[in-house]
Amino acid sequence: MVSDLSSPQNQNHPDQNGQPPNGIDFDNFILEIEPDPLEGNEDAVQTKPESNPNLQVQFKSERGRLLLLLPPAPEKSRNPVHWEDLRQQLKRRLSGTERFLQPHTPVHLIARDRLLDSQQVQEIDALLSEAQLPLKRIYTSRRQSAVAAATAGYSVEQQTTLGHLGQGQEASQQAMDEPLYLQTTLRSGVEVRHRGTVIVLGDVNPGSSVVAEGDIFIWGRLRGVVHAGAAGNPQCRIMALHMQPTQLRIADQVARSPEDPPAQYQPEVAYIGPDGIRIAIAADFALADLTTPETT
Amino acid sequence: MSRIIVMTSGKGGVGKTTCTANLGMALAKAGQRVAVVDADFGLRNLDLLLGLENRIVYTALDVLAGECRLDQALVKDKRQPNLALLPAAQNRSKEAIKPEQMKRLIKALTKVYNFILIDSPAGIEMGFRNSIAAAREAIIVTTPEISAVRDADRVIGLLEANDIKAVRLVINRLRPAMVAAEQMMSVKDVQGILSIPLLGVIPDDEQVIVSTNKGEPLVLDEHLSPAGTAFINVSQRLQGEKVPLMDLSIQKESFFTRLKRLFGA
Repeated sequence: MVSDLSSPQNQNHPDQNGQPPNGIDFDNFILEIEPDPLEGNEDAVQTKPESNPNLQVQFKSERGRLLLLLPPAPEKSRNPVHWEDLRQQLKRRLSGTERFLQPHTPVHLIARDRLLDSQQVQEIDALLSEAQLPLKRIYTSRRQSAVAAATAGYSVEQQTTLGHLGQGQEASQQAMDEPLYLQTTLRSGVEVRHRGTVIVLGDVNPGSSVVAEGDIFIWGRLRGVVHAGAAGNPQCRIMALHMQPTQLRIADQVARSPEDPPAQYQPEVAYIGPDGIRIAIAADFALADLTTPETT
Repeated sequence: MSRIIVMTSGKGGVGKTTCTANLGMALAKAGQRVAVVDADFGLRNLDLLLGLENRIVYTALDVLAGECRLDQALVKDKRQPNLALLPAAQNRSKEAIKPEQMKRLIKALTKVYNFILIDSPAGIEMGFRNSIAAAREAIIVTTPEISAVRDADRVIGLLEANDIKAVRLVINRLRPAMVAAEQMMSVKDVQGILSIPLLGVIPDDEQVIVSTNKGEPLVLDEHLSPAGTAFINVSQRLQGEKVPLMDLSIQKESFFTRLKRLFGA
């Protein structure tokens, strides 16, 4: 049902064996930008793998308390989350997961290597208070953030490593996070990234995107871009009540919607078949799984 | 040497993106190799007008972050292979990119393309500064309204301050009947204020809305609408040809207006 299947061009350079700089083959050329003159030192290269591009503001519950994990410092990330983005992400997560947040659960803010000034800490506290969540304590590895938070009257713990919290360093080798459940409409410009499965109860509008390392369930109309198995897992699936995406991606495969939309929508499942991304009616898909094991 | 042209206006909603899409397509049709660059990070639209939204895999930001090469981010137009789009990121703000980075992107594009059109966002803040960083020429898009002309004037001043001297004017959405009735600024009025060379006048045309919604620039139409013809003319003037301005005054006595008058509409 998906027409016009294509996969992103090979990441490796298959034909790098030099075209002359002047006689560029217009149908098939390789174009690269010059490296950033400021980033040219070795440090930049070394800090890169450390940051997982999928990290956003995240809640985790752990033994009756709630951990609020902030994304890593923007200067170290390939996909930097600046303060304004962070504030909006936090707001959206709070409103999208409202029903599951038990009021008065103490929140431990894991700021990691992010620099926070006292005003920012207060803003986070204010947002949490709106959801009736008290900010209990702040963990940071940056001295400046620790001082700022302490001056603003919060309980602070300064740690040099936050390894036990399992974020950052070898993120790609870890087990996925627990599913993220959001009750919201994702509007144009919003991108939800999560190291696990994402469930959206609401519509995913064109111009918005969901990037998940696990499966993606959309209990609503899917009209944006979604990427399941973003860390490379081709087993991942995308499910939607109303499958009308701008683009579907699973692992390293990409597919677009057919030019002519079907007359009627029903719940569908997208998965990687033998020749790329395929879509099946959800009811049939479940049966097919039972009746035809590995035939094609 | 490649021509790097920024399409800008100051005011929003005057038709920068429409002009970029049509001009880019018209130049490509004329055999030029054209890259259109969406510099409107966070509110990108150029992909929609070109009907290329669902073919975007990477954006300019992915190129800058080293996630892909520049050629992988370029979306080549199937209808017109001479045209490629460099998409902006939709989930970021204008501050996500710096003028210096924009320069590196454009510089690389000049190796392959001989026309680079940069679609600037409205405003005169960071997004505008990014969009003009690499430009050598500018096309000011304005409508014959006092507010749009005022903003255009400001932008021309800013361009001059940034050493972009080749600045030309496109007046968009002109309604000849209203000009004749002295209800709208005329081409002369606008030029009198802005005093920069005129590249073209685009008449107000309902077909623009149709083409926007379809994602097919007007200049692709088999039977060109008045606005489509005007865009083709602009593209020819941009390539140095001498094309006379369309006689828009004739249209006010067109068949339909006469018909309307007959029925007293």
